[in-house]
Amino acid sequence: MESAISSILFYVFAVAAVLCAFGVVAFRNPVSSAMNMALCFGFTAAVYFGMGAQFLGIVQLIVYAGAILVLFLFIIMMLDVKAEEHARRSFPLACIAVIIAGIFAGFVTKVAISLPGATSGECPALVLCESIGDLAPGAVEQDTAAKNHTPYGAAMPELSPAAAAIELGADEATAAKATAFPDTKLLGKSLFTKYNIPFVILSFALLAGTVGAVALGRKLRKN
Amino acid sequence: MNTILQWCDAVLSNEIWFYLLTTVLKLVLIFAVILAFVVLSVWIERRVAGWIQDRPGPNRAGIPLFLLKRFGSKEKQPLKNILHFFGIPEDCWIARLCKWLRLEGEIPTFGLMQPCLDGGKLFLKQELTPKYVRKVYFTIAPMLVLGPPMVAAAVIPFASTVNTCYGEISMCVANLGIGPLWIFAISGLSVYGLSLAGWSSNSKYPFLGGLRASAQLISYEVAMGLSIIPLLMMFGTLNLQDIVQYQATNGWTLLPFWGEGLTIQRWAMYAPIAISFVIFVTCVFAEANRTPFDMAECETDLVGGYHTEYSSMKFASFFMGEYAAMVIGSALVVTLFFGGWSIGFGADAALSAWCEWVAVLCQFLMFLIKLVAFIFFFVWVRWTLPRFRWDQVMKLGWLVFLEVAVANIFLAAAILYYIQ
Repeated sequence: MESAISSILFYVFAVAAVLCAFGVVAFRNPVSSAMNMALCFGFTAAVYFGMGAQFLGIVQLIVYAGAILVLFLFIIMMLDVKAEEHARRSFPLACIAVIIAGIFAGFVTKVAISLPGATSGECPALVLCESIGDLAPGAVEQDTAAKNHTPYGAAMPELSPAAAAIELGADEATAAKATAFPDTKLLGKSLFTKYNIPFVILSFALLAGTVGAVALGRKLRKN
Repeated sequence: MNTILQWCDAVLSNEIWFYLLTTVLKLVLIFAVILAFVVLSVWIERRVAGWIQDRPGPNRAGIPLFLLKRFGSKEKQPLKNILHFFGIPEDCWIARLCKWLRLEGEIPTFGLMQPCLDGGKLFLKQELTPKYVRKVYFTIAPMLVLGPPMVAAAVIPFASTVNTCYGEISMCVANLGIGPLWIFAISGLSVYGLSLAGWSSNSKYPFLGGLRASAQLISYEVAMGLSIIPLLMMFGTLNLQDIVQYQATNGWTLLPFWGEGLTIQRWAMYAPIAISFVIFVTCVFAEANRTPFDMAECETDLVGGYHTEYSSMKFASFFMGEYAAMVIGSALVVTLFFGGWSIGFGADAALSAWCEWVAVLCQFLMFLIKLVAFIFFFVWVRWTLPRFRWDQVMKLGWLVFLEVAVANIFLAAAILYYIQ
């Protein structure tokens, strides 16, 4: 029952998000487009929540809907909205946009279709492990636990809230009570250990953006 | 009768139904509390303002006794008649108590009826929508201001957990693992209401008000988020129910006088926590758009700010939204810094061991008392400090609070690492 509800909600939110994304392009009024984008972010966050990724969902809301889009709106409101509403769209520009969007959609579809288990609707990681176990009997031990091995032969970590809690240093008694994945902690741990260098490099990119904005602002003020 | 009881038992034994029913009950309760507190805080605001400015404030709106014809009008001394009606002698302790409470005239409500009558007045006023506004956004803007604080209240725990024979009830509508972030995210969305109201009014002063609101809210959200990181480092969790439980056992964050919170590390942590508290509370003021930070509606330079063009209940929605944001802000400050529902003096565990329901009731009352105290503080500040200038607000947010909050994180980390 629970999984039925969550899959129904997933489709509702996903369809709503896609419709809002269409609205962003379809509306003539830039403020309406921006508000549609905000709704789209909200529905995407709802999809994250449905998957149990609460932290990602809330970050989506705080960063995109709460900050970035408000700044968008801030700029749009200073435009002459009436002029934008009556502006005509050029046909060649639309064609180029459609081609780029089509290529991107094609990429995503290709990746989704070529994932293992895409046709049967199973978890890609599990299917991959099973097939490796079948194809190369010498590489992985042929026991009942073959499923629990990654393609590289290492033991795959157990996926359960309790196991995740133990990995983060909780004791057995508290871990046994865990019902949801400690997603904030897991995300933080992987960001600051495994993916620390890309994380730091990305923040330098943001810093560069900030410094650039300050430099531009300074120059304008002098003139 | 037995069949009904059996049916109730069957319904409650079903896990999903039990969860649904308790959640709906908690939802109704928290919603009622927030709305009641919106009304109550309007009253507190006006009474305290009167008190600070040495005038009575609204104290006249009472329940007029002439409605109760039997006991006569104010001049005819209704108290005497009532006492006579019940056959109570005029010099007994009940009569003296009534006189001490100044009950001779009319039923005293201490002006508590004033917000209700104000609400009625605003309902009945003519609603005027100017022709030049953008209707759709003009209509949804007040909803976008009033809605988010109500949704944000879902994660605030108002009592501890109760074990019933059907299962455990956690006294908090949504026991999410991301409590404070949920409140930041949802109450951050009310900026849409303010800026859309300003823009859709299609006139100069509201527009400036909307721009100021969005700039101010975004600036202070950054410092607000960074300021509570030292606390989260200490708690080690983002779940508000766990945070309050931690404070109930280890002493309140800002008053660690009881429980197991008297270690050296905890006292050393007091410095970063105090800094966090100052920054966080100031940011809550800014987020709730209250004086000294009410730049978006400051009447000296913007007429009425973003709600200049609004009238009747739409205006009242902005008003209520502001007070709801204040209530949620106070609730969050109480939850993070003053132990939330925790009774203190080490009484929580003992009371829970004695009777869980009594404990929960006491904790709920304690939470409300703390909430009222903090709302009083909000009002006190409003009527004491003058309004900042716009550039001062921005400077304070970006040049002082942001830097201090970041430095504070490193200070807290150093203390947690070096002092064991």
